[in-house]
Amino acid sequence: MKPIYLAIITLLCAVIAFAAPASAAPADITVVSSSLDPPVLMKGDTGTLTVVLQNNGAVPVAIRNARLYGSGVVPLSDPYPSVGELGAGNSKTFTFTVRADGGEGTFYPTFVLDFRDGAGSLRYPVPVQVEDTPLSASVIEKPDAFSASRTADITVRVGNPRPNAASGVQVVPQGTGFSVTPTGGFIGALAPDASGTVTFNLTPTAETDVTFQVVWRNGINTHTADLVLPVAFGEDKKQADPVITNVEVTPIAGGYRIVGDVMNAGLESARSVLVTPGAPATPIDPFRVYVVGTLDSDDISSFEVTFTTDGTVEEIPVVVEYRDDDGNRYTSTRMVGLGGTMAAPLEEREDGGFPVVGIVIVALVALGIAGAIYYSWKRT
Amino acid sequence: MDTGFLRVLLDPGRFFEARMQEKPSLKIPALIAVVMGLIGAVSVIPMTDITMAMLPAEMQGLGVLMTIISAAFAFVGGFLAWVIYGFVFYLVSMIFKGQGDLERTMEFTGYGLLPQVFGGIIGTYFSFQLLSGLNIPPMTNPEQMVEFSENLVTILSTDPLAQIAGIVSIFFVIWSANIWVFGMKYARNLSTRDAVLTVGIPVGLYILYRLITLAGWL
Repeated sequence: MKPIYLAIITLLCAVIAFAAPASAAPADITVVSSSLDPPVLMKGDTGTLTVVLQNNGAVPVAIRNARLYGSGVVPLSDPYPSVGELGAGNSKTFTFTVRADGGEGTFYPTFVLDFRDGAGSLRYPVPVQVEDTPLSASVIEKPDAFSASRTADITVRVGNPRPNAASGVQVVPQGTGFSVTPTGGFIGALAPDASGTVTFNLTPTAETDVTFQVVWRNGINTHTADLVLPVAFGEDKKQADPVITNVEVTPIAGGYRIVGDVMNAGLESARSVLVTPGAPATPIDPFRVYVVGTLDSDDISSFEVTFTTDGTVEEIPVVVEYRDDDGNRYTSTRMVGLGGTMAAPLEEREDGGFPVVGIVIVALVALGIAGAIYYSWKRT
Repeated sequence: MDTGFLRVLLDPGRFFEARMQEKPSLKIPALIAVVMGLIGAVSVIPMTDITMAMLPAEMQGLGVLMTIISAAFAFVGGFLAWVIYGFVFYLVSMIFKGQGDLERTMEFTGYGLLPQVFGGIIGTYFSFQLLSGLNIPPMTNPEQMVEFSENLVTILSTDPLAQIAGIVSIFFVIWSANIWVFGMKYARNLSTRDAVLTVGIPVGLYILYRLITLAGWL
């Protein structure tokens, strides 16, 4: 053979060697990573599954399509119908939207990669965890008893028992028959096994159920969990308890006078304490109402009220009005006997008990007598 | 203008000076004491009504008897006041070496009671006003009556009307005292200073007592 032919053949072989595609090499294609957002799904959650391929070979690999299938966790997005070649040393990311349609557990939807030229396919099961455990909420602080219109501090703690973080956590009180401040509490992100607290100022106006709804997001999925707090009115063990003692009833002109002591036997202060005679008694001057003011725990104060009755009443209520620190008004009543038939009150005068005519007469008499005396000495 | 014994109210000096020219006479002073007694008797009527209301029906006769006794005491009270004032002035004026018989002293003391008549009328008016509004509850036993009476005393001592009545009566006592000063000056032949002391000491003590009583200190 002539040398020229040998050179042509050699060159041709070299061109063929460089120009012809390499033969299919699926073994060089590997799944280097897969991830799910959120990392753990809840039932019905939608997530994003990402699979990353890498060509570890020295030649490109032709890929026909890529798809995902499985049960329990199903793909919602379309498969990749035409992928093309994956160059040597390159990587490619495939993203699928999936939904957890099954129950709890770990599911393995299969990522399938079909190669061209009948080079077979790659199957890679991707583990997806589905756990339906919700965030837990609990009331960690509340009063012993609720009272109408009395503001109570309610503290709610939200914990995250899930294996993945929850985001956008907030607590929203819901229901009727109360007012609350703030109207919602924001905690934010909660890492696994972490917790956050929110305090509400709750003022019930009636017995009701207050639902604290915990709202959070798992990826793009919003979830809620309810915590119901029954609000039943009862006696606050610490509340102020004004007690009237040492009562003495004395008939006076036009009515009666009651003097006594009022003591706060409760554990909290009683503010703006007023003592008044209640119906059927009619308060009269000078002590229609007695303002005691603030009575701290174990404090005692004397009081005095004056009133009149229609003459047939044998006992009247003495009413103690007071407020708590929140300004809510309370009343406490103590019946006080008037001594049966022993009292002898005078009827209240039409001028309200103030003898104006009498004052005028005194003034006139004083003037007249002073004039007479002055005149008598002047005549001397 | 001679207006009779009423002139003693405004011009006691001239009146007693004129009376000294005549023989002592206790007729008009006694008349004044009678009127005082009558007014006193009338003033107990409201209290008598209360007493009658307190008593059960079978004891109403006792109530009538009590009424008569009360009125009699009130009537005599006018004379007693006259006599007591007269003797006290007579005795006190002796300290200042007063000269003059007791009859003259009693006569002029009686004239000095004239303002008390007006005071008695006004006091009786207040008494009626005060007690007319009283509610009398039915009582069945003496204990209730005693308790009611005690309450009544408390009421009457605290009523502004009663206190006003007391103040008015004190004013009339002061007016009487002014007349008695002139009366003692002539009846006991005292200087003006001694006459003022003769009358002022006992009357001042009496007024002090009344004020303390009105203030509720006793």
